[in-house]
Amino acid sequence: MTINHHRAGQLLSAYLDGELLPREGAAVQEHLMECSSCREEYERLRITKGLLGALPVADPPAEFWTAVRAPRSEGAGPRFSRWPSVLLRRPVWAAAAALVILLLALIPFVKGTVDRLHAAEIGVDLYVREHALEMSTEPLTDRAYLGVVAGDADLVLAGEQARRGGAEK
Amino acid sequence: MTGRVLVRGAGAVLFVLAAGALNAGAQLLPVPPSRILQMALEAPRLVDYEGTKVITVLRGDRTETITVAEAHKRPERMRLEYVSPEDLAGRLIVDDGATAWHYEPRLNMAFEGPTLGGQLLSRDRTLLLRNYGVTDLGVEDVIGRQAYVIALVPHHPGVQRRLWVDRATGTILRSEELDPSRGVILSAYFSRVSFSLNLPEAYFEFRMPAGARAFRMFTTEAGTMSPAALQRRVGFPVLIPPVLPEGYTFRGGAVSRFGSLTSVYLRYSNGGNLISFFEAPAGSIGWPSAGRAIAVGGRPARFVDLGYFRVLIWEQGRLRVTAVGTVPTETMVTAAGQIAAGREQALVQDVSRQIESDPATVQRLRGEGLTFPEVARTVTLAHRLGTDLGTTIRFVRGSLSASDLAGRLGMPQEMLQQTVQQTARETSTSSSPFLSSPR
Repeated sequence: MTINHHRAGQLLSAYLDGELLPREGAAVQEHLMECSSCREEYERLRITKGLLGALPVADPPAEFWTAVRAPRSEGAGPRFSRWPSVLLRRPVWAAAAALVILLLALIPFVKGTVDRLHAAEIGVDLYVREHALEMSTEPLTDRAYLGVVAGDADLVLAGEQARRGGAEK
Repeated sequence: MTGRVLVRGAGAVLFVLAAGALNAGAQLLPVPPSRILQMALEAPRLVDYEGTKVITVLRGDRTETITVAEAHKRPERMRLEYVSPEDLAGRLIVDDGATAWHYEPRLNMAFEGPTLGGQLLSRDRTLLLRNYGVTDLGVEDVIGRQAYVIALVPHHPGVQRRLWVDRATGTILRSEELDPSRGVILSAYFSRVSFSLNLPEAYFEFRMPAGARAFRMFTTEAGTMSPAALQRRVGFPVLIPPVLPEGYTFRGGAVSRFGSLTSVYLRYSNGGNLISFFEAPAGSIGWPSAGRAIAVGGRPARFVDLGYFRVLIWEQGRLRVTAVGTVPTETMVTAAGQIAAGREQALVQDVSRQIESDPATVQRLRGEGLTFPEVARTVTLAHRLGTDLGTTIRFVRGSLSASDLAGRLGMPQEMLQQTVQQTARETSTSSSPFLSSPR
């Protein structure tokens, strides 16, 4: 099984989590060996997930349980008002919260980069498909041939391998 | 007895000769080539057929031969089942005239998208007859059927067509497209065809196979918008080609969306061919790895030769522009170079001075998608004929034919043609020193 760049990008996260079927995993591995941009993307994902995984599992402070178990009538205000002082007393919690906020802020940037990589690959196929569909309104164009062009582009846009086709001239 | 036999024999010979003469007479009946073209354009609305078609087409630096079972039910239903090559075998396209379903059996995937059977508009016919010369090349046999052979040669450099039109039905039995710089780029012919069939409606209805994954592929918004309206819609500047190969005119614009990629789509047609321009914010799309690096107006660009279609990509300001078409490479690069030059405001001033019009009018007509030579032609013609700009734009774009306009103005068509031809000469790209015409 071989996969294209676009499809490999979609499967990277699942590959990292070991959630792919063996043949899919092998295909992603094979693609990573050949594609430097996917390797970089894979490395970024791995580091991000590693950072999340490395966050310490901290025991909640005694005040937390007190606040949780407090009767509803006490209201939410006093419970949450204790959090700044809890964070000050627990610097690990403060650092973890800051890291989560930072990662959330980075998501659009990482997503934007991945989108651009995908768009570069799909751009030509998308535009050729649009052009072929519009060509069908030209009265003398062969529609059976346009079906080949638009159909091939459909497959690539769905993440499938491009059809090779053609014989030596 | 012998005499009776002789008389009968002579009668038979005379009958055969007379029949032959009638047949020969029928064959030689002159039919104007424009009438043959008209038959070919009208045939899909009048005739049902089912046959096997063989297509040979350029694909990259190779050729590919495709065999497809093609069925057509008037006015615009179509069913295509691809037989070969191997990696295409089994592909099915069922088109009911509004929606086309593409089914890929080896992947059990189905794609729902817009129809492939565009309606013939009078504008297309007007543009086709305005921009192409139609010549009669005689009568030939194609799979045992008599066919008129006509050639469509563009008045300006571009792709030529040769059509074999069935004498009885008007169906195109064989066609060839010839790019002067590359030879035949597409050839298609029926190896077998049957007419007058009562093809059942159900044959043109798609039924989703069990377990198939379905994708909706309506990526371009329906309808058409002017570049000015598109610019308001997308929020980024829309570049309008300053000049195109003579005969190409704005056909429409739309917004195309796929995932996070939003592009503006501008279409230019000469009635027989199309050049598409796609514009997207440069930050939303990276450089493709396909194709070879070239320069467009001094800017880095990539040229992707897919064979029948050619793609040119370059970056300008904050935009990524992609041109797609079946035109000679030089034509595409020159047209792209005119956009890349980025002289819009200077050209608005130059043209408004040349045609003695105010820059605001020139700018407004540019916003309608007109090239600078078309702007000059429209304003000059409106002045000479006394027509309003809206009517003149429709005439320049082919939505209004010369006979219709002459009828409206109450003037002889010949006189109108003379005025139009004189204006075209005066406002052609070759007579405007500030614009170089793409070849």
